[in-house]
Amino acid sequence: MTERGAPLFRARGITKVYNPGTEAEVRALDGIDLDLFDGELAVLLGASGSGKSTLLNIIGGLDSPTDGALFFRELELSGADDRELTLYRRRVTGFVFQWYNLIPSLTARENVALVTEIADDPMTPEEALELVDLSDRMDHFPSQLSGGQQQRVAIARAIAKRPEVLLCDEPTGALDVNTGITVLEAVEKVNRELGTLVLLITHNSVISEMAARVISLSAGRIQSIHENESRAPACALSW
Amino acid sequence: MRMLDLKLLRDLRGMKGQTAATALVMACGLALMVIAGATHTTLETVRDGYYRDTAFADIFCELKRAPVYVESAVAGVDGVALVETGVKGAGVLDLPGFREPVSCLVNSLPAGRDRRLNAILLRSGRLPDDGGRDEAVVNEAFAKAHGFELGDSLDVTLHGARRRLRICGLAISPEHVIEIPPGGLLPDPLRFAILWMSERELSQALGLSGAFNTLAVRLSPGANAEDVKAEIDRLLLPYGGLSAFDRGRHGSARLVNDEIEQLKSLGVLFPAVFLGVAAFMTSASLTRLVKLQREQIAQMKAFGYSSLAAALHYLKFAVVPVLLGTVLGGVFGVWGAAAMIPIYQSVFNLPMLSIRLDWGSLLPAMAASALVTFLGVLGAVRHAASLPPAEAMRPEPPVDYSPSFLEKLGVHRLTSPSFRIALRNLERRPWQSFFTALGLAFAAAIPVFPGVMADGLDYLVDFQWGMSQRQDATVTFVEPLGAEALPALLRIPGVMDREPFRTVPALVRSGHAERSVAVFGMPAAQRLQRILDTKGEIVPLPASGLLLSATLADVLRLSPGDRVRVEVREGHRPVIDAAVAGVVTDYSGLGAYMEIGALRRLLGEEGTVNGANLVVDETRWDDFWRSVKGLPALATVYAAASERESFIRTTVEMVGMQQTLYYFFSLVVAFGVIYNGARIALSERARSLATLRVLGFTRREATAILLFELGLLTFIATGPGLLLGTYLTKLLLNMANTEAVRLPFVLQSKTYIIAVLNVLFSTLCSFAAVHGKIARLDLLSALKSAE
Repeated sequence: MTERGAPLFRARGITKVYNPGTEAEVRALDGIDLDLFDGELAVLLGASGSGKSTLLNIIGGLDSPTDGALFFRELELSGADDRELTLYRRRVTGFVFQWYNLIPSLTARENVALVTEIADDPMTPEEALELVDLSDRMDHFPSQLSGGQQQRVAIARAIAKRPEVLLCDEPTGALDVNTGITVLEAVEKVNRELGTLVLLITHNSVISEMAARVISLSAGRIQSIHENESRAPACALSW
Repeated sequence: MRMLDLKLLRDLRGMKGQTAATALVMACGLALMVIAGATHTTLETVRDGYYRDTAFADIFCELKRAPVYVESAVAGVDGVALVETGVKGAGVLDLPGFREPVSCLVNSLPAGRDRRLNAILLRSGRLPDDGGRDEAVVNEAFAKAHGFELGDSLDVTLHGARRRLRICGLAISPEHVIEIPPGGLLPDPLRFAILWMSERELSQALGLSGAFNTLAVRLSPGANAEDVKAEIDRLLLPYGGLSAFDRGRHGSARLVNDEIEQLKSLGVLFPAVFLGVAAFMTSASLTRLVKLQREQIAQMKAFGYSSLAAALHYLKFAVVPVLLGTVLGGVFGVWGAAAMIPIYQSVFNLPMLSIRLDWGSLLPAMAASALVTFLGVLGAVRHAASLPPAEAMRPEPPVDYSPSFLEKLGVHRLTSPSFRIALRNLERRPWQSFFTALGLAFAAAIPVFPGVMADGLDYLVDFQWGMSQRQDATVTFVEPLGAEALPALLRIPGVMDREPFRTVPALVRSGHAERSVAVFGMPAAQRLQRILDTKGEIVPLPASGLLLSATLADVLRLSPGDRVRVEVREGHRPVIDAAVAGVVTDYSGLGAYMEIGALRRLLGEEGTVNGANLVVDETRWDDFWRSVKGLPALATVYAAASERESFIRTTVEMVGMQQTLYYFFSLVVAFGVIYNGARIALSERARSLATLRVLGFTRREATAILLFELGLLTFIATGPGLLLGTYLTKLLLNMANTEAVRLPFVLQSKTYIIAVLNVLFSTLCSFAAVHGKIARLDLLSALKSAE
């Protein structure tokens, strides 16, 4: 294992149970122990229902665990209230979803500006869009952009505030291969040039080849953590 | 239950806030309609039955004195079916424990039979005995106001002689359904009484034995009233007849009629506004629902449901608020009408008013409101019915946004992204924005009406008893007196100053228009009573010619400089063509004013007076009242302060109730419109909202962006709403103002401020309600769904 220093996230015994004590009880996560380190690109791999989205949402401060402890540096996320989680999301995390979730009535530039307005030390919307190679589409509305372009705007919006972690939930799930690759290239570039910790979830094992570490989940537990000897560049992927 | 109806119920559960808001707005409209409709139908039905049962006359005439045989001459006039003559006179009551003298009108009752026309309706007791002396029937309102009962005594001064009468009955009369004392603005049962005595006794007391001075006529079917009136005028001319008039000019009958007409117009305008707003609200939420359920509609059709079944299913969503609104509106309305009718009962002296619903006009109104709502949702329903299943299975095409008009002008550089979101959403759906703004404009408009009414009444009080009439008391004489009466007034204890006046009844004419008025002669100096223009400035009395009240000038179509024919109905009945020297402001009756000297010259008199306005030493009121009660020459004595206090007491209750009602309605409309708009915005943009929350926006910041657009609409709509309210209020006042009573249009900034606060308060309440919804919004499920 390479030397990485102190982890950015420390998860110990994270458990998430939906509808506890009822017939509809679902154990989405069952005792997850995991460390995530600054600057790494990690992929959470798993089939539908393996609990990967639940884990990502808990790390992203969108959800709270039923049991266990989760720390971001010294901040304990597992016990944080809504106000603390909002602040955490505002300062620390960047999100990219399968459905791009852009505001339809704002242009690409304005969608990014929506975040830079409330961030402490953001890059300019132009810089962020430049990073995802969308300088020529800045004043287009979402409806005027292709799916891949919209997803890249979503990435620009997520990284414009210089987050410490970029969380991507099936970012290529709604895209064809070629478009998906351009999106992954943007994610790769952010990780490389800004040194942002990227946690990407996918059910597509091909994508895991671009990661430094691949964390495999099944039935709410970590099956294995695998370190890639050599990372494949996104442009070399194909599925 | 059929599955589609089960779906309807479950979907409605999710829309219960919006459905309730829409039903409430609709209920307000229907309630107003029911209140106005039921009140007017009740008043009209009871009045008509009362007039019929008591044989209320068609034509009336008063005269100085005619021998009884003239009655048969009138009975012979072509078109006259029935004649009733009698005597009447003014008196003054001296009530123990009531320091002011109380004016009264005393009417005669024929001996040994009921009146053929204008019969009185006994509420208790009996008519005066034929042989019994000193008995009187008293009007019920007066007896109630003072707590008099059968058998109590009244000291009355009639024609200079004081006598004691025993109350033998309490009654109401079709001639006095609403009775305003001479010179007053509103009924005052404490200070004005109506008495009925046996004709023999009253004629003797008034020095009219073997004669009559009042006459009433029932027309035969098909008779021409104008011809009959002209003939009566001709017959009574030698006996000092004033002009004959019909029910349209009868003081009480006209006031009752005006009130009924006002209720009719009130029952249309505001309800129409409410029902229109409710129809729009239903339309907006249903349009949204159909969009949200595109895929469900497609599936229904794929299963084999017909387009008609889909259309009917969505139409049922509109039926629910209509039914709910109708039931609520009906209950509110009947309850409101039941609360209003006792107020009318206290002003109108009618037999028992029991509530009558005007089903004849109510049912079509309810049908109309349902129809308007259905028309409003027709577009959405048709859209649902016409969606081809394959197309509907696909998600809705992305919304095409473009920079808004304002941005093209360069405004965007000044604005934040959240402002731009709002602006673009508004521009993308101009009609929905327009109707939301219109609803809000109406919410701002509604409170203007009660505000203007309250301020108008305040102004009226100030105008009448502050600016125009500066006397402390007014006395009138039984008969016109000579110049010697004036120094005598100064000998009444407490009287410090006096200003005489001379009034004569006259017919003023211009072209075909004519009105019976009292020409009021007053000194040019106008020290106490003053004639004012709209700005409150004194209008000088011309050396010759008349000043006319604006309403009279309007009725006669006269402007300053025109000439008007004045036919005096007193003394030697001079007729002149006088110049209209100016038009002045007043708020009751039809006024015509002359310089007192000019009027006396016209009458061929010197120094005559009918009465005087007085200034009374405020420390000597008790002496003043004691003294005037013993002066038989005085027909009436009024204290300005009492009139003012009585006016305020009567109006405060009615205005207060109306104000509460209108403020409530405004709150409901504003809340309903904003809440409905916010719920639609929330459903359309739940995803954006969740995105904002994920991006780190606090709940409040995210809510602010969502609601900014509604806030913007509220802001935009309020100004035009106030103007709309001002316009509607003017329209309503024009409809409500009559020749008898007028309310000035007085707009103060506080009316606007209250209207704005009303809208803001409702807006904040609905925002708070939606904020709660946002708090419970499931971020993850909103984000995971496909667009």
